[in-house]
Amino acid sequence: MHGSEPGCGKEVRREPSDCNPPPSAHTGGPVKGHPASFHRTAGERAIQGLLFLAAISSVVAVFFILFFLTRDAYQVFFSVGPVEFLLGGRWDPTGYPPEFGTSPLAAGTLLVTLGAILFAVPLSLGTAIFIAEIAPLRLRLLVKPAVELLAGIPSVVYGFFGLIVLTPWLGDVFRQPSGESWLAGSVLLGIMALPTIISVSEDAISAVPREFREGSLSLGATRWQTISRVVAPAALSGITAAVILGIGRAIGETMAILMVTGNSAIIPTPLWNVFSPIRTLTGTLGIEMGEVPFDSTHYHALFGVAVILLLITLAVNSTAVVILDRVRRSQTGVGARRREILSREVRARIRKAAGASGAVLALAAAFAIGGAPAAAALALLGGLAWAARDRLSPGATQALALVLVGLCVATVLLILGVILFDIISHGLPALTWDFLTQNPKDLGRAGGIYPAIVGTLYLVGGAIAFALPLGVGAAIYLVEYTRGGKAISLIRTGIDLLNGTPSIVFGLFGFAFLVLYLDWGVSLIAGQVTLGLMVLPTVIRTTEEALKSVPHSLREGSLALGATRWQTIRRVVLPPAMAGIVTGTILSIGRAAGETAPILFTAVVFSRRFLPASPFEPVMALPSHLFILATNVPGAETNTYGTALVLLLLVVGLYSVAILIRNHYRKTVRW
Amino acid sequence: MVIPIETNGTIITTRGLNLWYGDCHTLVDITMAVLRNRVTALIGPSGCGKSTLIRCFNRLNDLVDICRIEGSVFLDGNDIYGPKTDVADVRKKVGMVFQKPNPFPKSVYENVAYGPRVHGVRDTGDLDRAVERSLRQAALWDEVKDRLHDPALGLSGGQQQRLCIARSLAVEPEILLMDEPCSALDPIATAKIENLIQDLKQRYTVVIVTHNMQQAARVSDSTGFMYLGRLIEFGETTQIFEKPRQELTENYITGRFG
Repeated sequence: MHGSEPGCGKEVRREPSDCNPPPSAHTGGPVKGHPASFHRTAGERAIQGLLFLAAISSVVAVFFILFFLTRDAYQVFFSVGPVEFLLGGRWDPTGYPPEFGTSPLAAGTLLVTLGAILFAVPLSLGTAIFIAEIAPLRLRLLVKPAVELLAGIPSVVYGFFGLIVLTPWLGDVFRQPSGESWLAGSVLLGIMALPTIISVSEDAISAVPREFREGSLSLGATRWQTISRVVAPAALSGITAAVILGIGRAIGETMAILMVTGNSAIIPTPLWNVFSPIRTLTGTLGIEMGEVPFDSTHYHALFGVAVILLLITLAVNSTAVVILDRVRRSQTGVGARRREILSREVRARIRKAAGASGAVLALAAAFAIGGAPAAAALALLGGLAWAARDRLSPGATQALALVLVGLCVATVLLILGVILFDIISHGLPALTWDFLTQNPKDLGRAGGIYPAIVGTLYLVGGAIAFALPLGVGAAIYLVEYTRGGKAISLIRTGIDLLNGTPSIVFGLFGFAFLVLYLDWGVSLIAGQVTLGLMVLPTVIRTTEEALKSVPHSLREGSLALGATRWQTIRRVVLPPAMAGIVTGTILSIGRAAGETAPILFTAVVFSRRFLPASPFEPVMALPSHLFILATNVPGAETNTYGTALVLLLLVVGLYSVAILIRNHYRKTVRW
Repeated sequence: MVIPIETNGTIITTRGLNLWYGDCHTLVDITMAVLRNRVTALIGPSGCGKSTLIRCFNRLNDLVDICRIEGSVFLDGNDIYGPKTDVADVRKKVGMVFQKPNPFPKSVYENVAYGPRVHGVRDTGDLDRAVERSLRQAALWDEVKDRLHDPALGLSGGQQQRLCIARSLAVEPEILLMDEPCSALDPIATAKIENLIQDLKQRYTVVIVTHNMQQAARVSDSTGFMYLGRLIEFGETTQIFEKPRQELTENYITGRFG
């Protein structure tokens, strides 16, 4: 992007017309027609054009994804029929005659997500309140990284843990023949949704102005009264958005859910039977996509499933985006004067209804998991709490609440501890030099994982090489060259949509477009581009934040000296933003290294002796290797654990570096 | 350990009060007494520790992690930094109004009812009466009685500040601390609050921090002048403004620095 070279003058004419520079974008030299200033202006405009192209890449990507998914999906509406496809009660694509009813899959996704949210929301809120309001500095420094660590564990490692520890344990505890069930899926997904819900609601709680707390405390309210009556209500929309984002995360998850739910495409009978196996939309794609004959009805039906999945997640995530946007505006005072839409009585009634339905749901959950005695016990406890509500002194209520919050935090830490301990203690014995440097033997039961390590490095390197220029360019364009307008909100929507797209959908898109349509075959480069598209929104967002944190006065100082816009960006804005950009890049690398679903059908093969000689050959990769060892190769336990540990160390190591850089940067640079 | 030192007429007494924010020694050896049913003003240049001092009176400095306090503050003869003190109880007796109006994002009614609710009042009739009484005392009732259930953030700045005063009065405190309550308000709203302070004196003790010397002279009975964390001079307002004993006080009052 060395736009100051003379050759780039050509770019100017290609600059799209809707890229209107803001009013203050006058950056050229003072005298028009002067050769030097003309040269400067041309270079400036060329750069702006290139940055614009980077910025619209997300929109183009979303358009391509939608186009290629529907292109392969629409036929199912003719061959199966929309009613049968959407409402049909049986999914049996290989039966005779085949059946393509997606309602059991949609029900599975819905039920697993519901359970996950019931599990995750109380734990997350307790932990978020603890981090934001209660924890002394030292404890906060322990709990926050722990939550970030939970976010860093790759989903296939969660799935492996679920398969080998969680499901047998649940089977034992509840005396069920198999723990592979709706319950296992919900618990595991709940754990995976924890970091999202915790960190977003913690942000929302921390953003509540300090004055509210002081106002409440100065009236003699206890800390807990302040939290529960002032802080939490003020943070409510942010917390709602956090929960919705958690739901989005849960709906889109593939690998983990596929490994623990048993995958029978049935609706549980009775409906609250949490021990029933279940199958989700994502799980169906993960299982069947690898074996489906090209261009068959089944193939089209799977793309139809992907479209349904995409539409659901897009709807869910856009809701969260809208809510968060409103929160941001109301905090800057724009929405402060709005009147309450609903009258006081109506709101009280809604609150009562919400409380009642919550109680009913909790009772139903207790009944489903523990039967009648558990439900009765919960009802009794709830009744007692209700009766004692007005009698407990504020101090006693506070003590009780703090104990509950403490239990939430302890549970989250315990979950993390158990996962890490299990993987590390079983994986360490496998971790030898040979394991890291040898080819796999005997279907991976013996030998090492060298090609998988190298394959993952290749994939990640390519993905970043693809996403970094596009992402940074897009972020610079959005932050430095624009101030709203229709084109910009279109680009932002594109980025939001891309961010909310489930990883398995990226996988299907990569398969349909890169592997088949462009005829790249199952290849390294197809995987790199797919992964690159997936991490693009992360790169854009973190870069944007880094750029926004550079104060405006610095830019004005540089522009006032007669520097051009691009000179200002390159010499004044980018250097201090570098740490933030590096952090975002490392987080993206970590995310790309741990993902399985996008590469499963685009880039990887299970066993391959040789490293790829060209980008058009397939590779091995750590996450997919782990997936196949864990699900398809009996008797490979040691090597499976070893692979999980290597993957975990790789991803968590990258995340830790990113967090360290961020913390160091926060400490040293203050505006 | 400490002998109660209630003397007639004093409500707050500090003895050798020192406070550090980290390494910064913000309050140095403050010893003073606040008289009941009087208005006490604290004046001094920015950063001299006025606000920090009154935030010791309701232990709001407890919220700051790096804050360390030595010495004692007596409220009605009891050391509020003593081991048996219930902080919530102290804050119930010592209300506070802040520099920037800080109504909760709730309705006018709910803002005022918050304090009584928190202290266990549930009866709707009692709450209604407390809300009306407090709003009347804060001279706000007539302006808001028809929109009690509208959001408090829709009120004007001056109204918001009087709402915050009403909110403090609703828990029936003994003392009202005011931390530059008019610095974010226009002159008309400021005049209303100053009149209100004169009325409040009948029932409450008021301690007001202000950087506006005229305001201190207008509203207060006693005045303390603070400089660099020390209480330089403390006495009758007329004496401080007409015959200051310390040269520093005189220099500040006559505008030679500040």
